[in-house]
Amino acid sequence: MGSPMEYNGGSVVAMVGKDCVAIATDLRLGQQSIGVAYNFDKVVAVNDKLYYGLPGLATDVYSLREHLRFRVNMYRMKEEREITPKTFTHLVSSSLYEKRFGPWFIEPVVAGLPQPTELDPHPKPFISTMDTIGCITTPKDFAVAGTAADKLYGAAEGLWEPDLEPDDLFETISQTLLNAVDRDCLSGWGAIVHVITQDKVVTRRLRSRMD
Amino acid sequence: MALFAPPPMYADPTMAADKQHAFNPYSENGGSILAIAGADFTVIAGDTRQSEGYSIQTRYARKVWQLTDRCVIATNGFAADGNNFVKRIKQRLEWYEHAHQKQMSIKAIARLTQTMLYGNRFFPYFAYVILGGIDEDGTGAVYSFDPIGSYEREACRAAGAAQSLIQPFLDNQIYFRNQTPAPGAEPFVPGRLPLSTVLGLVIDSFTSATEREIAVGDGLELYVVMKKGRTTDDLVGSDNLIKNMQVQELGALGEGGSERTFLVSLPLKRD
Repeated sequence: MGSPMEYNGGSVVAMVGKDCVAIATDLRLGQQSIGVAYNFDKVVAVNDKLYYGLPGLATDVYSLREHLRFRVNMYRMKEEREITPKTFTHLVSSSLYEKRFGPWFIEPVVAGLPQPTELDPHPKPFISTMDTIGCITTPKDFAVAGTAADKLYGAAEGLWEPDLEPDDLFETISQTLLNAVDRDCLSGWGAIVHVITQDKVVTRRLRSRMD
Repeated sequence: MALFAPPPMYADPTMAADKQHAFNPYSENGGSILAIAGADFTVIAGDTRQSEGYSIQTRYARKVWQLTDRCVIATNGFAADGNNFVKRIKQRLEWYEHAHQKQMSIKAIARLTQTMLYGNRFFPYFAYVILGGIDEDGTGAVYSFDPIGSYEREACRAAGAAQSLIQPFLDNQIYFRNQTPAPGAEPFVPGRLPLSTVLGLVIDSFTSATEREIAVGDGLELYVVMKKGRTTDDLVGSDNLIKNMQVQELGALGEGGSERTFLVSLPLKRD
């Protein structure tokens, strides 16, 4: 049997823009070469300023998502405030490292806009990604993960530019995702894009090749 | 009785456990190549790094070669096989010229490449080959091959270590995949972009690949083959040159074929 990371397929990409972030995923769930579902959303919201994607082994997607939902709810009750993207990244990272010698087969991608505070009235958009055992990377441009990661790197490296407005960021991340997953057998079958700004989140389903 | 028992194999150092011995005739030398066809020109490019594993063997090794006045070849994979393949195909092209008093067309070179690769079907040249040039009716042509000779004519193709990074970008920018023309606008037709745009895309492809793929970097060699009588102003005009870019015209190899080939070189990041 092949690697658990390539069993179900799927990819996620996140990008930073001017006072906005975007996160996008494909919708395929498969069993190796057989496509099983085209509604498998790998991106979930923590709140309306913070989203994360979990590409990897589908059973671990469910387990980790529920684990994180529990931990975030407990955080909310104890702290009586929403978790910040940076803190959430460290929560995910330590959850992964807890299973250092029997890891979750997931490479998470986090995208969020931190709430303005008195100390930091104009916080920067935040994205991060981790490997399967929780090593954090916090890029200032884009983060990719999943079976189409190498294709996403190439497309994003060619298309991304700094300080994109929300509409242009949407176009950039959509083109990056679609063209990358079209060259990946294990990803595709539809796509969803979220563009997060301080006053709203725009979620769109993309029309794409279904092969 | 133990006196007559045969000694265990490991007791005798000269009879140590059977050594598994195997000679692997292949290696992978990194790098990446790319070709894009235009309406009246073709661009064939390759980086100049040659590596093995994490080590750089040289920062300048050629993998793109001029074959005729209208055909350029690029090879990627195992450098020894690639170089040898180019050497043998050049020999076959010389024999063809002696026999027919003319240079072979790109279409014929493509078929020759197939038979030469397939001739080694059971001990293949570990080389991914791309041919680029001008076909008989003057349009840009790109032919890409697998190591045993399966081939196809295309508008663009990337191969090598950064193929998976470059090809999706090219799908988008050359084939206009996942793009829709604005209402009332001209439909997109692949293979009709101007040379300046194609050059920009090739250079961007390689600088992007250099960022994310350790086997790509050091330098970029880019061959431009132009149709008979086509203007060269969009390449040799000094205002078209980007920093550290050098353009040099390569002389004709045959006689009378007035297609022109230019070699453009520029540095890539060395880390």
